[in-house]
Amino acid sequence: MSARAVWTDILLGIVPIALLVGLWQAIASFGYAPPALLPPPGVVFMRLAHQLTTGTFQGDIAATLFRLFAGFSIAVILGVSIGLAAAASPGINAVVRPIVRVLAPLPKVALYPALLLLLGFGHESKITLVAADALFPILLATYYGATMVEQKLIWSAMAAGTPRRQILFKVVLPAAVPSILTGCRIGLVISCIVVFLAEMITSTDGLGHELVAAARTFRAVDMFVPLITISLLGLILNGLLQGLRSYLLRGFPEV
Amino acid sequence: MMSGRALVSRFAALLACVGLLLIWQFAALMLDTDSFPTPWEAIRAIPSILGDKESLINILASLRRMAIGFGVAVAVSIPLGLMMGRSRAVASFFNPLLMVTYPVPKAALMPIIMLWLGVGDLAKMLVIFLGVSLPVIFHSFEGAKAIEEKMLWSGAAMGLSAAQRMLRIVLPAALPEILTGCRTGLVLALITMVTSEMIARQSGAGNILFNAMDMGQYDTVYAMIIIIGAMGIGLDAAFERLRARLVKWSEPGFDIPLSFA
Repeated sequence: MSARAVWTDILLGIVPIALLVGLWQAIASFGYAPPALLPPPGVVFMRLAHQLTTGTFQGDIAATLFRLFAGFSIAVILGVSIGLAAAASPGINAVVRPIVRVLAPLPKVALYPALLLLLGFGHESKITLVAADALFPILLATYYGATMVEQKLIWSAMAAGTPRRQILFKVVLPAAVPSILTGCRIGLVISCIVVFLAEMITSTDGLGHELVAAARTFRAVDMFVPLITISLLGLILNGLLQGLRSYLLRGFPEV
Repeated sequence: MMSGRALVSRFAALLACVGLLLIWQFAALMLDTDSFPTPWEAIRAIPSILGDKESLINILASLRRMAIGFGVAVAVSIPLGLMMGRSRAVASFFNPLLMVTYPVPKAALMPIIMLWLGVGDLAKMLVIFLGVSLPVIFHSFEGAKAIEEKMLWSGAAMGLSAAQRMLRIVLPAALPEILTGCRTGLVLALITMVTSEMIARQSGAGNILFNAMDMGQYDTVYAMIIIIGAMGIGLDAAFERLRARLVKWSEPGFDIPLSFA
């Protein structure tokens, strides 16, 4: 792809976002919507810039990020290990498969009240919810990645004298990495969404709580700030994961 | 042997349900607190919920909102995704916008949308629509992108117009991928439905669930969890049937949905 095509792409992509912000500004400045319902974008972004320098808002971001990472890490560890185990052993597969079939389409947010009652209103219930939601895409992506590994690769490794036990970690796991990373990417987006929702339902800090607190007192400007923040956080985390992906997959044919 | 195995795999999901309920039973007996009833107590509370006219109307209203939001989202997203997949300009036009909106929890827009549209049906259906569209757009996009160019060339050589090629070649070829997206969207619609009702406490299944939670009616809480969970599993299984019929010819890909949120 030539540099020029890339620039055209970027310019084209900015257009709808600029149009949206322009429309927003126009609606606000021509008085179609009172500022109490739709504050002008300038005010919102100024507020965001101001908030980012205050300690309480940074504390909220830190709380959200902590829950997000804790839940996401648990999901990655459990998802990759269960996925690999299910791909490697028919016995485990027979147990895991039907359970996953039942639990994967279950709306996990509905479990949140139960988690609240069992684990309390602190970090634990939110982290568990994030982990439960992010787990399944990662698990399934790992499982499918591991079952799609070319048999020839395994035979070659065995012919080269790799012990059976090590094949899982030396052949199957590396070969499944692209698929696992795709699963992680979906899991990450889900984690962002779920942590925010959990904080909206019950919390005393975090970005979701900021939104609810602003909504209760009808501070429209402050309702937009956490939403934009979570969108930016999602973009940054996605970019980081993309970086990790191109680093991990540097030897792979196409990414 | 074979028939025994087929029987087991047929009822594996049912066995899994029973197993999970047993684990729940043991956990409830071990913990022995008021806030964690046994599954039997929860199941016993289900008929009284479904038998109550008001809650039944609430649940049906939820399902209606979900169906409308989902239907409109699918009708809009599939053409958009297919066009993005076939035209580079369209793709680069919409992609960044979608990337920015992806990590935003759609149900979190609820308080803002409520300011504009009120707490009624419209706000909830709009939120469900937003939640469902993204995965459907992305899967249609991927599906349309992966089509073999040769098929389109042959179609063009045989005199199909661009619109006909889209309808007769691109749509069927991308269908398996599109349906995977719809399946994810279906689960998402249910989740967004519950969360939107939880935020706009006015009616619906989510409202019953969280009201019971606030009033400490724990058996109702768990009964509602079972009902909502059963809806998720049931809708997903029904959709999988439909999918299997529509795309009998395609390789079964992910036979379990990559459920979102």
